[in-house]
Amino acid sequence: MTLLADGLEVAAIRDRTRHALALYYRALCGEVCSLVPYDDGSSPWEHADTETTVWLPRRAPLDDHAEFDAEEWYRVAMTHRAMHRALGTFAVDLDKPEPLFARLRPKDTGDPALPALTRLAGLFGWSELGVHIFATLEDLRIDAATDRIFPGLAKAARGVHHGALHERPQPATLSPRAAAIEALVRLSLGGSLVLAATVMEEPIARITAVARRLRSPLATPESSVEAALRICDILADLPTTGAHRSVHEIRFAELDGDPEDPRFDVASLPERLAGAEGFAGWYLPVAYRDWPGPRYVGEPASDESLAAFLPGVAQRSISPAHGSEGEEGTEAEDVPSRAGDHPPTSGTDHDALPDLRPGSLPAGSDETTFVRDGALRPAGPNEFVYPEWDTYAATYRPDWTLVRTRTVAPDRSDHGHYRALARYGHLVGRLVRELERVAPAGREPARRAPYGDDLDLDACIDAMIDLRTGVEPSDRVFTDLRRRTRDVAVAFALDLSGSTAIALPPDPEAPGTVRRILDLQRDAVSLVAEALGRVGDTFGIYAFSGSGRDDVRLSVVKDVEERHTPTVWHRLGGLVPDHTTRMGPAIRHLARRLSGAEAATKILLVLSDGRPFDIDYGQEYGEEATLTYAVSDTARALEEAAELGVHPYLVTVDPDGGDYLGRACNPRNYHVIADARDLPEALTELYVSVRADAS
Amino acid sequence: MTQTLTAPTTSEPFYLPVHDEVELFRAAYEQRIPVLLKGPTGCGKTRFVERMAWEIFGQRDEPDPALITVTCHDDITSADLVGRYLLSGEGTTWLDGPLTQAVRTGAICYLDEVVEARKDTTVILHSLTDHRRTLPIERLGTTLEAHPDFLLVVSYNPGYQASAKDLKPSTRQRFMAIEFDYPDREKETEIVVHESGVEEETARQLASLGEQLRRLDEAGVIEGPSTRLLVHVGGLIVRGIAPRRACDVGLVQALSDDRDVQDAVSHVVSAVFPA
Repeated sequence: MTLLADGLEVAAIRDRTRHALALYYRALCGEVCSLVPYDDGSSPWEHADTETTVWLPRRAPLDDHAEFDAEEWYRVAMTHRAMHRALGTFAVDLDKPEPLFARLRPKDTGDPALPALTRLAGLFGWSELGVHIFATLEDLRIDAATDRIFPGLAKAARGVHHGALHERPQPATLSPRAAAIEALVRLSLGGSLVLAATVMEEPIARITAVARRLRSPLATPESSVEAALRICDILADLPTTGAHRSVHEIRFAELDGDPEDPRFDVASLPERLAGAEGFAGWYLPVAYRDWPGPRYVGEPASDESLAAFLPGVAQRSISPAHGSEGEEGTEAEDVPSRAGDHPPTSGTDHDALPDLRPGSLPAGSDETTFVRDGALRPAGPNEFVYPEWDTYAATYRPDWTLVRTRTVAPDRSDHGHYRALARYGHLVGRLVRELERVAPAGREPARRAPYGDDLDLDACIDAMIDLRTGVEPSDRVFTDLRRRTRDVAVAFALDLSGSTAIALPPDPEAPGTVRRILDLQRDAVSLVAEALGRVGDTFGIYAFSGSGRDDVRLSVVKDVEERHTPTVWHRLGGLVPDHTTRMGPAIRHLARRLSGAEAATKILLVLSDGRPFDIDYGQEYGEEATLTYAVSDTARALEEAAELGVHPYLVTVDPDGGDYLGRACNPRNYHVIADARDLPEALTELYVSVRADAS
Repeated sequence: MTQTLTAPTTSEPFYLPVHDEVELFRAAYEQRIPVLLKGPTGCGKTRFVERMAWEIFGQRDEPDPALITVTCHDDITSADLVGRYLLSGEGTTWLDGPLTQAVRTGAICYLDEVVEARKDTTVILHSLTDHRRTLPIERLGTTLEAHPDFLLVVSYNPGYQASAKDLKPSTRQRFMAIEFDYPDREKETEIVVHESGVEEETARQLASLGEQLRRLDEAGVIEGPSTRLLVHVGGLIVRGIAPRRACDVGLVQALSDDRDVQDAVSHVVSAVFPA
């Protein structure tokens, strides 16, 4: 029934496992995540989770003694992460009362406009150590709560904890502070003892007394805050160098400490901890737990290391607003500049693409504009000429544009498709169901048919009544089962102009990745195509770009009549933006391509990120005229498509799209999506309505 | 033919109010305002109507039931609701449809999943749902005045029917709408205990399972699981089926055919119930 996977990513079947795990996470905490595998040997901070990305090792750490299988291990790891979300680790409220400790948190935790986790880090002198201790205590609390909430997982979780404990290094040679931390980590994993020097017994006993309280069902994230303040206070007094030679077993069960020790001095903690290293080189991360990154200090999206990130946060938080004229303004300014300073490194493979915004092209420069005149001729089987509508002359220019089709070179991987499924996979199921509802497969009975399989009782009775009342009865008295056709062919045309390579501003709701319009188009088409593949609608995927009327490039990802194979996803990944957006010829070509397809309903969906533009698209009438010229030609091409029996729709993510498209296009034929980031979701919805509309 | 059910009025139907729906319905009934029940599948809409019919009419005897339920589907015609001529030895006989029957006898007529019915069918409800309270019967050439006790109640599930299927505004605006949702964990536990007879602890786990899986509903991955489904699973457990197995047959398979989704649902089930 369930798939046994010992690694996260090898083949498509593993991607299914990932998708199931992502859905599992969503069921537990209601949040979306993308699951990304990491390799052994990478530094832990490189795979710190962000709000939307969950990192898991490529292979589950199984050994011969493991009391769990790989699938259970991944489930324990995902549950742990989901419960961090569900049980409020990232929603700490520093002012909220909690029932387990006397309050040591200071009343004033700094600028209330800052996220609570950012202020929390301030209580630890912006030290990595404080954040790590808070995270470890939350791990302990979460694991205890998980055991209570999910009894079905308890056995596997125990096995995974034992496995993690088994891997812990012996703390005998550690510095006193490191030994105390190791003791805490072992305690959090359900360990019963630690090897340490006799003098360490007292601090470890105090730490244990505090940490144990977090196993209570009453514990909240605020309890972990109180506990972290106390434990950091103890750790701050322990030296970070030197080791004790002789060690003995210290059993946690035998230790006794006072969690409300009057010696705790939280007020001086920031000073004493400032600059304290976190779990540094000696530390072995617990693989099933997430590694604390900037998310634990209130920055959900950053993928920097905590050590690199903290000084900046400290700087910004300590010197708020250069005065007091408005903290909100400062906060607002901070966000983009922060994102701009550190472009995430894990982005896509196309980071280095040049900025090919239409505006940056030498449009109108003498060499490129009007040198090519007259009709064009196709020179090969992959070349096609089409007329162009000149709205100023109110006439067609015959054979004015040359479309050259080429099959896209496939990318090495099809991960893009499966990443899109992991991210938006839930939309596919919904889309499939909605499509099946709009046009269910199978047969439907036709009533009052002139011939058919069965008598239509109502019609028979009416006929009898008519007979007896002396009226001529109808002979349409049968019911007939007719096959419902879901006979649809749809072509997607993606705008591949240079502007689709521009990175979008970071999304506050889905931080963590830099995305380009092209990526969103790709994701959107991936999803819809996946759904179409499942319901059996025929589809083609094309992308258009060009530079000049004799060089309109139409890249074929999947032809309408091509069989649906995995190569399609490789090709989709291989799309690279280039040059300009001459929409007219692309629409004309695809409308003709579709009109030849055998289908009752034909749909052409053009996705674009901006206004149609090319280097010789109406420039002879002056730069101001180009928009009108290009939009009119596009609108005319859409009308031509409709005349060929194709339902054309132009979807643009240009928020101004309505302004110029509205002037020329039939409002049924275009659709403006205000925020490009909504594209995948919007396209799936749009497709359903387009599909219902067209058939 | 239409599926017509008359409510079992022999005993008081169990219904646990979630909000103020009982008072709202009573007020609407006193004013004879038609009622629209909105809410996901299996959250208790039908049971609520049964309960309200019982509260309002008490125990009524056949042949005049207090509640007449019609489950709508896309093949339903207005003849199915209003009535039709049947052939008989001497000629034709008129047979009242369920709606006509309710209008004549003064029952609550409950059209379940009303948007499933074809749009032209719902139009016959219009004169019944405004001040006229009449039902024109075209084939008889008459117009029937509604019995003073008559009330029309319809239900629909806005999430489930695709955007293509929706009530026409002219229909929708004739009703007072009561919105239903799944009960919270405590209430759902109580319902599952009452309906299935399962132990409270197991019922609580089922309710918690329902709560988790409904997050996938919010995401549009699956629908439900409904309280009814949880009651079914509880019933299987009472009969001695192991909880995980009961969930597998009663929940996992019922919620989705998609393998990934089934896997995810099984993960949640096996986290909640020990093997």
